[in-house]
Amino acid sequence: MEIVFDKVTKNYGPINVFRDLDLKIKAGDFIFVTGPSGSGKSTLIKMILNQVKPSSGHVIIDGQKLSEIKDKREIDRIRKKTGVIFQDFQLINDLTIEENIALALDIVGYPADKISSRINEVVKLVKLQHRYFLFPSQLSGGELQRASLARALSVEPEVILADEPTGNLDPTNAWNLIKILQEINEKFKTTIVMTTHNMDFIESLDKKVIKLDK
Amino acid sequence: MKLLKLTLHHIRRSPFQSLIAFVAVFLSFSVLNTFVYLNRGLNHVLNYFETKPEITIYLKDGLDAEKITALEEEIKTYPQVREIRKISKEKALELYKEMNKDNPLLTEMVTASVLPASIEVSANDPRVLEVMAQKFSSKSEVDEVIYQKDIIQSLLNWTKIIRIFGIALVVIFLIASFLIIFSLIGMKITNRKDEIRISRLLGASQFYVKRPFLLEGAIYGVLGAFTAFLSSYLTIFVFRHSINHFFQPIVFVNEFSLLDILILIAELLFGLVIGLSASWLGARRYIKW
Repeated sequence: MEIVFDKVTKNYGPINVFRDLDLKIKAGDFIFVTGPSGSGKSTLIKMILNQVKPSSGHVIIDGQKLSEIKDKREIDRIRKKTGVIFQDFQLINDLTIEENIALALDIVGYPADKISSRINEVVKLVKLQHRYFLFPSQLSGGELQRASLARALSVEPEVILADEPTGNLDPTNAWNLIKILQEINEKFKTTIVMTTHNMDFIESLDKKVIKLDK
Repeated sequence: MKLLKLTLHHIRRSPFQSLIAFVAVFLSFSVLNTFVYLNRGLNHVLNYFETKPEITIYLKDGLDAEKITALEEEIKTYPQVREIRKISKEKALELYKEMNKDNPLLTEMVTASVLPASIEVSANDPRVLEVMAQKFSSKSEVDEVIYQKDIIQSLLNWTKIIRIFGIALVVIFLIASFLIIFSLIGMKITNRKDEIRISRLLGASQFYVKRPFLLEGAIYGVLGAFTAFLSSYLTIFVFRHSINHFFQPIVFVNEFSLLDILILIAELLFGLVIGLSASWLGARRYIKW
């Protein structure tokens, strides 16, 4: 999936978040998006998901301008190809981790008879195979983020958008998550767009960086 | 995650709200069933009187046998007369005692002399009876003529009143059920807005996130209608003999028949429509993102 920002400007009332942003993310890229709070990192992620619309300019995904898509189902199709990880995990609290993943698979229309085996695969990949039957409230922060990653991975996305995924994690868990993302990027050629404040990751890994200024 | 499983999960998460919606539909359909059975019974009563045209000519006291025979002969001259039954004072007392055998207080003080003799006339064509009623009521030997047309008219009036009242009550209850399901689904959507938002982010269509709520409404409608039918029918079944005994010789409540199955199917469909439309409107009103 190729993502292009074409002279995108976003204003929240009188506040300008970014102006004339040009950006191209190619399939298979691993990109860090960094910048101070309020610089528009989360807005950038939300624009790819079409949660937030640009004030001017276009977000183009696989050649399609999101602002020109009339059929809402097309947006749903793009979202189905996208795995999302949030700082606050965004798991459904009264469903077990297994059910959370199953829901994501059901949404993308994964064959019902293969859902169980797919869950087993992804929980093993994120090393959560002994905890996936628990509810989110019964897991630690690191486990929750891995559960969130498992859900994102389960649908075999073309791109993973990770919005400050390490924000609530201790350094060990944060590094573990980064390693898993790196492994997925290398193994499956999945595009990773990750927003972060953490300069250690950016300096330690030789990846493309988009720096947003306030 | 399977749709039914998710829907049942929603129901279990707020059992009291779900119970309120179910009870509202149950009560509405119970009221509907009460009036359906009442209406059917009243139709049987009406049918009974309409298919058995009859007048009763009450005779004045002290008439000799010749005059009574003359009256009988005159009645026989009318066409379409099916049967003439002479009820003497003694026979009238006998009938009265039979009717009130369970209540000795009513029979102790009554003697044959206080009851009028009468002639009951059945006809194949009720129009003959109408003519006879007019003719005989003006005769000097006749005390009073009771023509069933009056009873039928009275029954028709009562049936009409009961029907209008029933329909009004059922409509009020159904509107209440509709509004309860509508607002309940709204509350449930508000409670689950995070879940809906997350599902939408994962690519779920609006219809996908609405489906469990639509099914939930449909379950309330169908389950409420079914249990109301079942409980109404069982109640009627238990008291059927007593009710029919009270109305005998009219059969007020029939045996279970094809009509009952059709009523059940119609009510299930009606319940489905109410539940689905209320939840659909609720989902449409509250799921906008």
